[in-house]
Amino acid sequence: MSTIDYTQELPTVEGKPSAQSIDDVISKPLDTKPGNLWKILITITSLMLLVGGGALGWTFYKGIGVWGNNNPVGWGFDIVNFVFWVGIGHAGTLISAVLFLLRQRWRTGIARFAEAMTIFAVMCAGIFPAIHTGRAWLDGYLFPYPNANNIWVNFTSPLLWDVFAVSTYFTVSAIFWYVGLMPDFATLRDRTTNTLKKNIYSILSLGWRHSSRHWQHYEKAYMILAGFATPLVLSVHTIVSFDFAVSVIPGWHTTIFPPYFVAGAVFSGFAMVQNVLIFVRQAFNLKHIITIGHLEKMNQVMLLVGTMVGYAYAMEFFVAWYSGNQFETFTFINRALGPYAWAYWTMVSCNVIFPQLFWIKKIRTTILPMFILGVVVNIGMWFERFVIIVTSLSRDYLPSSWGMYTPTIYDLGILMFSFGLFFTNVLLFVRALPAVSIAEVKAVVDGAQPSHKGGHH
Amino acid sequence: MSDKDINYWRGFNELNSDPDFLKAKRDEFKDELPEGFADGLDTSKSSAVSRRTFLALMASSAALAATGCSDYREKGAIIPYNKKPEEITIGNPNFYASTCTACANACGILIKTREGRPIKIDGNPEHPVNKGKICATGQANIMNLYDPIRLKEPMLKGSGSFSSVNWLDADTKIIDELKKAVAAGKEIAVISHTVTSPTAKLLFEDFAKKYTTAKFYSYELTNDINKVNAFKKSFGKDGLPVIKWNEAKVILSLESDFLAKDGNFVEAQRLYTESRDVMKKNGEFNKLYVVEGGFSLTGANSDYRIKLRTDAIEEFAYALISALGENNSGIDELIKKYNLKREAVKSLVEDLKANKGEAFVTAGAKFPESTHIAVNKLNDLLATKVYSKENFASPVMPLTAKADIDALVGRMNAGGVGAVVHFDTNPVYHFSPDYKYADALKKVGLVVTFAEAHNETSELSNYVLPVNHNFESWGDHKPRTGVMSTQQPVIAPIYKTRQKEAAMLNWLAEKPEAYAENIYMNYIKANWEKSVYSVVSAKVDFKTFWTGAIHDGVIAFNEKFDDTFTFRPEGFNAPALKASTAAVLQLNRPNYLTDGRFANNGWLQELPNPITKSVWDNYASVSPTYAEQLGVKANDMVEITAGGKTVAAPVFVQPGMADGVVAIDLGFGRTNAGPIGNGVGVNTINFISKNATVSEWLYNDVKIAKAAGTYEVVSTQEHFPIDNERYNDIHLKREIIREGVFEEYKENPKFLKEEIGKVELFNIVPSYEFTTNKWAMSIDLNKCTGCNYCVAACNVENNIPVVGKEQVGKNREMMWMRIDRYYGGHSDDPRVSFQPMLCQHCDNAPCENVCPVAATNHSPDGLNQMAYNRCVGTRYCSNNCPYKVRRFNYFNFRDNLADAYYEKDSLSLMHNPEVTVRSRGVMEKCTFCVQRIMDERQHATEEKRDLNGDNVKTACQEACPTSAIVFGDLTKKDSDILKHRDHELGYHVLEEINVRPNVTYIAKLRNIKPEKKA
Repeated sequence: MSTIDYTQELPTVEGKPSAQSIDDVISKPLDTKPGNLWKILITITSLMLLVGGGALGWTFYKGIGVWGNNNPVGWGFDIVNFVFWVGIGHAGTLISAVLFLLRQRWRTGIARFAEAMTIFAVMCAGIFPAIHTGRAWLDGYLFPYPNANNIWVNFTSPLLWDVFAVSTYFTVSAIFWYVGLMPDFATLRDRTTNTLKKNIYSILSLGWRHSSRHWQHYEKAYMILAGFATPLVLSVHTIVSFDFAVSVIPGWHTTIFPPYFVAGAVFSGFAMVQNVLIFVRQAFNLKHIITIGHLEKMNQVMLLVGTMVGYAYAMEFFVAWYSGNQFETFTFINRALGPYAWAYWTMVSCNVIFPQLFWIKKIRTTILPMFILGVVVNIGMWFERFVIIVTSLSRDYLPSSWGMYTPTIYDLGILMFSFGLFFTNVLLFVRALPAVSIAEVKAVVDGAQPSHKGGHH
Repeated sequence: MSDKDINYWRGFNELNSDPDFLKAKRDEFKDELPEGFADGLDTSKSSAVSRRTFLALMASSAALAATGCSDYREKGAIIPYNKKPEEITIGNPNFYASTCTACANACGILIKTREGRPIKIDGNPEHPVNKGKICATGQANIMNLYDPIRLKEPMLKGSGSFSSVNWLDADTKIIDELKKAVAAGKEIAVISHTVTSPTAKLLFEDFAKKYTTAKFYSYELTNDINKVNAFKKSFGKDGLPVIKWNEAKVILSLESDFLAKDGNFVEAQRLYTESRDVMKKNGEFNKLYVVEGGFSLTGANSDYRIKLRTDAIEEFAYALISALGENNSGIDELIKKYNLKREAVKSLVEDLKANKGEAFVTAGAKFPESTHIAVNKLNDLLATKVYSKENFASPVMPLTAKADIDALVGRMNAGGVGAVVHFDTNPVYHFSPDYKYADALKKVGLVVTFAEAHNETSELSNYVLPVNHNFESWGDHKPRTGVMSTQQPVIAPIYKTRQKEAAMLNWLAEKPEAYAENIYMNYIKANWEKSVYSVVSAKVDFKTFWTGAIHDGVIAFNEKFDDTFTFRPEGFNAPALKASTAAVLQLNRPNYLTDGRFANNGWLQELPNPITKSVWDNYASVSPTYAEQLGVKANDMVEITAGGKTVAAPVFVQPGMADGVVAIDLGFGRTNAGPIGNGVGVNTINFISKNATVSEWLYNDVKIAKAAGTYEVVSTQEHFPIDNERYNDIHLKREIIREGVFEEYKENPKFLKEEIGKVELFNIVPSYEFTTNKWAMSIDLNKCTGCNYCVAACNVENNIPVVGKEQVGKNREMMWMRIDRYYGGHSDDPRVSFQPMLCQHCDNAPCENVCPVAATNHSPDGLNQMAYNRCVGTRYCSNNCPYKVRRFNYFNFRDNLADAYYEKDSLSLMHNPEVTVRSRGVMEKCTFCVQRIMDERQHATEEKRDLNGDNVKTACQEACPTSAIVFGDLTKKDSDILKHRDHELGYHVLEEINVRPNVTYIAKLRNIKPEKKA
């Protein structure tokens, strides 16, 4: 292995591809008929969607009693899944907006995909608050609409803040994503010979002609939207964490939750994006555009936020002890040693111990281990939400009301439904839209921009 | 120019506003109109709606009303109350006094009816025995009235199956058969439960005069017969004395659950806690010692609990007799042999000696005669004065001796019995299998069973005659001397049922076609005129006397009896019952199912056992160390063999039981009780031996062996290892339960407040000032015995659904109120604390601010309220409730159990119309019986007075047999609730989290020697 010359930036796109070849390689999946692998995959994911949908339908028919939720543990898989998916949705905005503002050029290869995943993840997340209510057909009550009874929503409830936070996040992410897609729609419109496709792309590209004027407006708009989206990265999961932090339940009533949740969200989001990108670059021959270098950077971010999450776990214990509050102390000892200790130690090992392997460059840059670690991190992050929600509720103040929570097959079915929805969307996305931003990649190819730094380009 | 600008006139006098004309115009229709109708009417000021507009509006409103009312979610016909009965005002309840027949105690009840439907049972406050209180079973009996399983008409068994038959045909045939039996000289056996009614006794006598071969038998699954026989031997009296528990300073219970199962426990609870009243100035506490092998509610309430295997208790009684005579060797030997708590035993002996005359010893009904004789001797030595001088409980008809039942079965088998009439009894289920009663029945020509619903016995009968429920029947009951309790129907029979006494009377009259509803009432009346009215020397005529007695539900009068109790040493010798080396099995009366006849009552099946908190099952309770010895864990199946009979049952590990003892409830394992009661638990009557060596309910030649498989017993409270350091005394560490010692309290009444210290809590927003009313509750833990009657009352009052075993297993029971049971100390010898837990109606309610739709919110009079219609069911409020008192409808629970059993039509009549029946997906919880508050508010408004908080009684408060619950308005300066809230022993649970709860708990004091604080 040759030594790295730190005076040189690593190329964002490897091998100086021409503009034409970038067009071709990125839009190839859109121009060709799907292969067998894709067909098999979408069969699996849509089956998950269907079977999981059956579980959901049965829930609507019978009542949410078919789940494992019970009296001390009012929230189980429903809210665990919600927080999990909102967390997954965090990587997209972080990559596309925050890294954009920070001028991190390596984001270009993965931004589009990450944004799409954000949107799909927030869609999955949005299902759970909607279905977790006992009377889902009355969910409209959660919106402050004028009505004859003059009944207003309760603005002091964090659950209401969630409604606004998540819907705002979804809206802004979707607009941001669409704006970024416009130049690519125009490129696709110009390339295609199919009349139907041409018409669709023409409408979607909103009359984009690649003129300098367009580019000038576009750059500004994109910058402003990135500015809008950036605070959302922090706010959404902060507000989700308020669902717990604002309550009086030991294990929930914690001021550390907002930063801890945001770090956790970025952690799980990056793990998910990394996992899916590994598939995409392999399947669509995009290894020179989504490079190992990109993946390594993602792994480094995961190592950083994973360690932050580990710090938060430690700090929770410290505060529980330092506060001298016996309820708090009990809750944390109960997490580590009580009946749900297995879940707690799964969480700690997946989120804190195993990601430490990313200190080893070999693991950071080799596909298989990093893929496994990404999966491990997502398992760990799912369990983190399970630990926070279920163990805290199962043993709170009065020992008389303690009770265990056991999920049912319907809980698992609906979790499967959400994964089915997510991956079906991902699979449809890679066949219907450019998975990597054509315009942006062209702009970061070596030599595409005038350079003042000298060096070899 | 519009209409209204033109002033039309009929003549000049109108145009010129001639005053005479205007007056004449105004008075034009005066004669036709009611007085004062047109006063002040000025047409010029009436609104400017033209006739046309008016008609158009009328027409459209009519059209709108017509369309609006037509077939929108068709709910069946609405029948107007156009013939209003005189005594019923829609929306106002009527109360009728009656008598409960759920068990042999015959307590007085007050039945609340709404629009002619009984909906709630409370004790009759006028009744001298139970004084306005009634047990859980009595309250839940309302469900049996509306139980869909009830028989709706007489049934005749054809070839193998039943078909309906009308009463006339049935009666005619039965009379015919009875006559044939008499003619053939064959016996007619009438088998009844305990007869508490003097008129029923007379009926039997009259019946036997006509049908000369008739004989009467009565039995109870669990009864006092050994106690009664012992009392007869020791004191030469038939019956048992009435105990004035309030006058005993030291009580020793030898495994007698007198607070829950033995004797009239409703009365005992009230009297016992009278001497545990911290509201009384300088009130002294009584002291309760319990020696037991199982774990009873009385044991849980004791100050000193000494665990001793049940079959050694008679020896203990004899040792105690010696100890009172200064011979401690026997006691010392027992202490050593069974590792008894020396301190406690010493203290017991000292206290008994020091309190002669005011000490009382009692033993459980399950003990043999010999134990009771020893107890009688003990009481004689203690010169106890707690036997009532006013009343004596002599039975109206004594229970039939076992030998006589055996003889009857023998005659049945020999063909000597022509007819058997089961007088609302179920002997096929209740009799020991040794009798082989079911086989004997096959040899009887005519088997008639009176029953509310099919049961194990009715299945084997020729005729099944449906009987009126308690609340549809007439009756009179004499539970003790000087007390006659009356029973009146409060609803016309819902189905084609008859009162069993009336049906029998009809057979007596031999004119079945002439049957009238009121024949038995007339019969009672005639009997009363002859034998009651003449005795009580009433100063009014009989009609007034009778109406008064029915109205009050009870009459109390002076009735002389021999009130001297002189002990005779007959049968008193040496312990007849000696501890064996094998295991001991005790068969206990179930907590709420009486003898299993309430098996199909979901409310009672789901009411937690006060100690184990388990529901919907019976199980073999063993101590933790004994379970270890046997190599079994909770829910493992074991095979118990007693007297050669084996029954398999699941294990329940019960801390605090004596090793070598297995306790299991009777009354379960019904096979033909109905969809709710079938197959719940195991039938332990199979153990009962007709020739039991010790007693029917106690066996000490028992073998227990682990059997294959497990069976899950569910409970409403989680079981965690109480010996583990993390959980040990957790309720005390968390200050959920605060307790003290009586003597310390006497020395320093403020000890608790000093212990709590000054709690400083602050709010960032100013607190709401409650100015009009503020509702609050107080619960005195010194008086709370943990009996669950409040829970039963709450279930009935608030239409709480039955969720079933599976759902309780998932922690989804719906009861708004629960009694939390905590074990303190070590699992070998736990100290029990009870705490009724319900919505605390916090001022800073954490549930309220988290509800996104504001479905739960605070009323200006301090109630935390739920708007069911607004609730979408996020369950956030329940998660954020520190007391976890909120209940969520995970299903439409009425639709979810036993093929929607609880959604059947008849059961909807049971619902309290003042309380919404909640649908699936909404949260609910205790409302502080807001409907009763509103009722009082309406009365106050009608009577133009201020609302008086003391007039509001919540359902739990009304039901509490010891009056531990006080409810009222905190803004009223001299209210009872304020005194309790400000009491020096008052505290709030989880005070430090600043939710400001409004349920004050009065800390429990134990009357034990102060322990040295570490």
